[in-house]
Parts: sequence; C-alpha cells; structure tokens
Amino acid sequence: MSSTAEGKARPQPQESSGWFTIPAPLARLFKKFPLLMYPPNELPARSPDIRHVPTLYVFISDEDALKGLPSFNPSCLKWQTFLKLAGVDFCVRSSNNHASPTGALPFLLPPSISRENRSPRPIPSNKLEQYGLDNGKSRLPEGPGARLEAYESLLDHRIRNAWLYTLYLSPANAELLTNLYITPATSSRPVRTTILYQLKHAAELEILKSTSRDTINPADLYRGLKEAFHALDAVLSDEEWFFGSASPGLFDATMFSYTYLILHDGLAWQNRRLSDILQDFPRLTLFDSA
Amino acid sequence: MAQLLAHNQTLPVTLSSVQIHGARNTRKSFLDPFFRPLVEDSRNVSYTLGDLLNEVGGTVSKLQKFDVFHPDIHVHLSQPPHLDPSTSPTDLDLSLRVREKSRFMLKTGTDLGNTEGSAYGTMLVRNIFGGAEFLSMNASAGTRTRSAYSAEFSTPINSDPNLRLSLDGLASSTHKPWASHEELLKGGGLRLNWAKENGDRFQVGYSGTWRQLTGLAATASPTVRGDAGDSVKSAITYLFQRERRDNPMLPQSGYMMKTTTELAGWGLLGGDVGFSKSEMEIAGAVPIPIPGSKSPSGISIGCGLRTGVLYPLPLSFGLGGASPSRLNDRFTLGGPTDVRGFSLGGLGPRDGTDALGGDVFAAGSVNMLLPLPKVGPDSPFRIQLFANGGRSVAMSNRTKRNDTASGQRMTAGSVLNGMLSATKEVGTGLPSIAAGVGLVYAHPVARLELNFSLPLVTRQGEESRKGLQVGVGINFL
Repeated sequence: MSSTAEGKARPQPQESSGWFTIPAPLARLFKKFPLLMYPPNELPARSPDIRHVPTLYVFISDEDALKGLPSFNPSCLKWQTFLKLAGVDFCVRSSNNHASPTGALPFLLPPSISRENRSPRPIPSNKLEQYGLDNGKSRLPEGPGARLEAYESLLDHRIRNAWLYTLYLSPANAELLTNLYITPATSSRPVRTTILYQLKHAAELEILKSTSRDTINPADLYRGLKEAFHALDAVLSDEEWFFGSASPGLFDATMFSYTYLILHDGLAWQNRRLSDILQDFPRLTLFDSA
Repeated sequence: MAQLLAHNQTLPVTLSSVQIHGARNTRKSFLDPFFRPLVEDSRNVSYTLGDLLNEVGGTVSKLQKFDVFHPDIHVHLSQPPHLDPSTSPTDLDLSLRVREKSRFMLKTGTDLGNTEGSAYGTMLVRNIFGGAEFLSMNASAGTRTRSAYSAEFSTPINSDPNLRLSLDGLASSTHKPWASHEELLKGGGLRLNWAKENGDRFQVGYSGTWRQLTGLAATASPTVRGDAGDSVKSAITYLFQRERRDNPMLPQSGYMMKTTTELAGWGLLGGDVGFSKSEMEIAGAVPIPIPGSKSPSGISIGCGLRTGVLYPLPLSFGLGGASPSRLNDRFTLGGPTDVRGFSLGGLGPRDGTDALGGDVFAAGSVNMLLPLPKVGPDSPFRIQLFANGGRSVAMSNRTKRNDTASGQRMTAGSVLNGMLSATKEVGTGLPSIAAGVGLVYAHPVARLELNFSLPLVTRQGEESRKGLQVGVGINFL
C-alpha cells in the first residue's frame, strides 16, 4: 500500500525559485520527506474513464456520443468522418467551445499515458489532418492540390454561409438552433437568452466577414449555395468520390458533413431551403447515401 | 460629579423633548424609533434619572453601530427654561450632538496577498436615503482575480442595527492555475443578516450565479475539459458565526464556530446544479500560564477543525436523478491559510497536475504560539509550531462503465453508496500531514505567516511544499 517517496516527491522548492539553489544537506533532508506516501486519491465521478483511446470533443448529445453517432455540427462532423476514414480508433465526447484550446470545436485529446503525468496537449482542428494521416490505419488518397483549394473555398464560404444563415439566423429554425446549442448548456432562461444572442451575433459576423458586405442578403447566400452545389456536382460528375479517387478523402468528408446534416431526418429543419436546393442535384444527394 | 449623579440617581424625571443636532442627512423616520420609547417610558411615575441615563446610553451605542455618525456623540441634558408654562418641574430636555461621517468615500489602493497582487477601487455611499443605507461599489484587477466588479446595497430593517437586508451583484473573472482554468462569474443575491447582542451572527440568503469555466490551459486535464462551459447555480444559503476569541488574528483564548449550509438546484430553485453543501469550522485556543507568574505569558495552544460535505441532489423534484458534483462546486483544500505545507488546492484528487477538489473533506491543525524572546507577549509577533493535516475525497462512481458522458445521472441509491464510501475513505489511513515552524505577525487587518514546513504523510499526486511558505489571510486553520 504505502511507499516511501525517495524519488517521487516533487522538487517544488527548486522549481519555484530557480535563482536559489538549496544547500546539499537541506536537499538531503528534503529528500527524506514525506515519510509516508499513500496511493493516489480516486477521481471524481464526472472524470472520464476512457483515456487509452484518443477522444474527439464535438457538439453532440450525451446519448449520441455513447453510441458514436454523427455530430450535428458540420465542422465537427467533417473531422469525425475524416478520422473514421483515416482509420483512427477514437471515441467522441459531448463538449462545448469553452473546452477547446482554440475556442471552437472540434479538437482531439490524444490518449494519456498515465494519470499522474501532465495531461497531453489537445490537437486543434487545423492539425487534425496531419494527426489522421500519422495515426490512421488506412491510406488516404492524395489531394489534387491547387484544384482542391478552389473547391474547398466553395465549401468553406458559400455553403457554410448558407448553412450559418439558415440554422442561426433564419427565425423559422430558432427552435432547432435552441435545441442543438442552447438547451444543453443551461436551464436558466436569462442565460439561455444571452448565449442565444451571442451565438446569433457570432454567426452574423462570420457571414459578414466571409461575404465582405455590410448586410446579409439571404437571396444572395442561397444563390451562392446553388452555384456552389452546381460546381461541385459538375466536378463529382458520375464518379463515386470527388476528383476521381478510389477512396474518400478529406474533401469528401467535408462534403458529407453538409449533405448528411442537410438531408438527415434527425434535425428538425423548419426552414428547408438548404435541402430544397440540394434536392436539385441528385448526384450530390446520392453522394450522401454512398 | 459622580457623587452628584449618585445623589440624583433616584430623582424622578420626565423627558419633555429630544433634539438631535448635526444629523442633516438622516431621516427623522429613521431616528424616531430610537427616541420615541425614551419619551414614552419617561411618562412612568417611577422613572428616575438613572433609568434615563441608562436608556440614553443604550441608544447612543446603537446609533454608533450604524457607522453613519462619528463615534463621539455628545449627550446634553438640560432643564427647560422655567418661563415656559407647559413644563413640569421634573421635565428634562435631551439634546444630542452627532457628526455625520462623510457620505462619499473613494478609496483606491493595491494589495499583495496569497501569491496575488491586485489593485482596487472602492466607492462607498453612506446613508443614501437617510436611514443608514449603504451602497458600496468595488472594482479590482489582479494577477489571480483578473477582474472583479461588485456592488452591494444594504439597509437596516426597522432602524435595527442588528438586522440588515442587502442586495448584491457581482461580475468577476478569476484565474485558477491549480486547475488550469479561468472562472467567470456573473450573479446576484439577496441576503438578510442579523446579529444577537452576544455577537452571534446569522445570515440567510439567496444567490443566483452564472459560472463559466473557460480559458483552459494547454495541459488542462480531461476532467477539467469535461467540466468546461456554462452552469447556473441557484442556491439558498444559511450562515452562522460565533466569535468568542480574544483576538481573531492571534487567538490566545476563546473559541469560534462557523457553519455554512447551501442548498442548490433543489425544488423550485432551478439552475443546472443540484446539491446540498455544508461546511463547519471550529477553532479554539487556551493560554498556557507560566507557573509562578501572574501576568499572561503570551504562550497559547490552539487547534482548528474544518469539515464539509457536498451531497448531490436531483434537480427540481428529482425525476432525472442526481448529477455528480462539478469542479467549481467541490471543496478545495490545502494552501498557506488552511493546510499549511501544501500548495493551494494541494490536497485531494488530481488529474494530471489539476487539483479537482473533494466532495467530503476534513482538516485539522494544532499549533503553539510562543512570544519572541525579547519582544514579549504584548507584541503582535509570535513563533508558531504547527502540525496540520487533512483529507479531501471525491465521490467516485464505481458503477459506471464504458460511459464517457459527463452529464450522467446517478440514482439516489448510488449517490448514497458513493457518499458513504467517500466518507469512509476520509478516515482510512492517516490524513495527509505537514508540520513546521514559523513566524506570525498579526496586523489588525490581516495575519501574516512565514513558515518552514515539511510534509510527513501525503498521497501520490498531492502537491506538498517543502521549505518556506508565506500566508496572508484573515481566517487561518
């Protein structure tokens, strides 16, 4: 049970004052203490048990997280899908932006070696691609470089803006937005109102930043979405995956994250513009089922 | 003079008028309840000068308690001029001369405390509506408490200095490096304070607080990451404090007792966290006389005990089961003002380098204070020999398996089992102990300690300090 702590005691005094070295006899005395060391205290009930596998922190309900179901947030789902495609063995955990090192989900916490050590540094979403390639079991297709970037910007701007507008700002979807992001955070009404306002405001700023306009014009956003889908439909043509590769890659994961969430029945869309527009491109909707 | 008074003690008197000079900003309706009884009592047949002087003395000391007037209140008794036909021979006039303290007070300064430096500004408005109402506003910024703004309005009820109602609001941001995060608080509360003549203080209150656990360090542990985010605490609290020590900063004799009870989230309270949290603290000291010497030796032995339990309760009326405690609700233990020889939050469960706090804790200390050889017992300096220890245990959920969800609920039975085994665990083995020697300086506003200590018993992961530790605080274990 107990062990004397010759080597394990933390060298606190030395650490706390680097300019001050402890005289040798005192250091020898310090080494003798503590005289008795018990095993560590047990962790509280809310501490996660699973630490030997990487954990992806995403927006998801607790129940869905247990079953490993898809996240309801496109950028979380993108990386969740990508890591799956890359063959990384990981679990998902319900979280929120406050937990993230960048202030936005998702991020991945690598497995920890032991509880006593300093916890591993989280991997933010912009480093997840490398992580997936380094740690995955599957080989992923090489991206087509510059061509990919052009299409990526369609996803990152046009489709994302239409998504942000429809979910966050369209009044018809207010209930859906509340159910997804606000209700899990707190049960207090005034706090919910505050968070909802902050969330909408942030979405508005994102759209304005991306479109470089002073106001948001929904018609423009939806036209942009249509154009983007049109272009993507053309590049996919009749292939199974984008850019004619044999297996899906990051771009396919990004596309899937939107098409799945737009078409999937789990989200109670009231404003159905996104899916109405997507329906015009049957090859893209088929992509979802693939 | 004394003789004259003694002679006239039994002189029958009546009070015909009361005049108060200098209370320019104080309402008459606030002062009336003090003086009306004086006038009415004096109508009794057997009322004597002695009675009158007693009552006036009592009233004056009550007035002083409001902190609205300067303590030097002058009392003047005079006989009304004989020319006035409406007076009787026993009539006396009472006049008081008070000086109101200034209504506005602005104070700025800097503080150096428990490994924290801060700058603050305080504005105090005294006697706003002329009834000893106080409004105080406080802003501070520091290294640990990054920023804090608070405002409190308090008013006596029924002109009773021992019964005050206060309304407060708070917004703060505190850096908590021992658990790798920053906590933002926004909230408010309503409290009723009352005190008994013997000095016992009571408080009941309600508070609602929006807490945000955010700004995590890169190496924050999975437990802290799991508890990051928003939560609202809606709680009623009850506080009792009895102070019977001769000098709280440097107790030589007497005892103190303090209990705090908090009920959050249960019933109609609402909010996101449900628990009952109780904490008790007792401390006492006995002087040790030197045989053969009558004067106080300045030597004393003191001891203290703190204990607390956080018991998870179901939210509202308990249909969903109870959630285990969160990081910001659990007790932190350890540090220079409680269990010395450990760093802040150094005791209890740890995930990586993060102190997670316990649901059940107990800590105790024994210390001996000795006057410095040449300075003597009257100086505020003492040499301190101490041994203190404690245990902080979190309720763990042994029944959960393959369960990564943080919002899991526990049934009443598993909460009870968890709490029982945590309580049992507190008494298992020796507590974590440190002992040492140090110098104490008791300044009227705070106590300063410089200690050299070594840990004797610890648990793996607990953060003990070997060597010197400085403690600044008001309330030491």
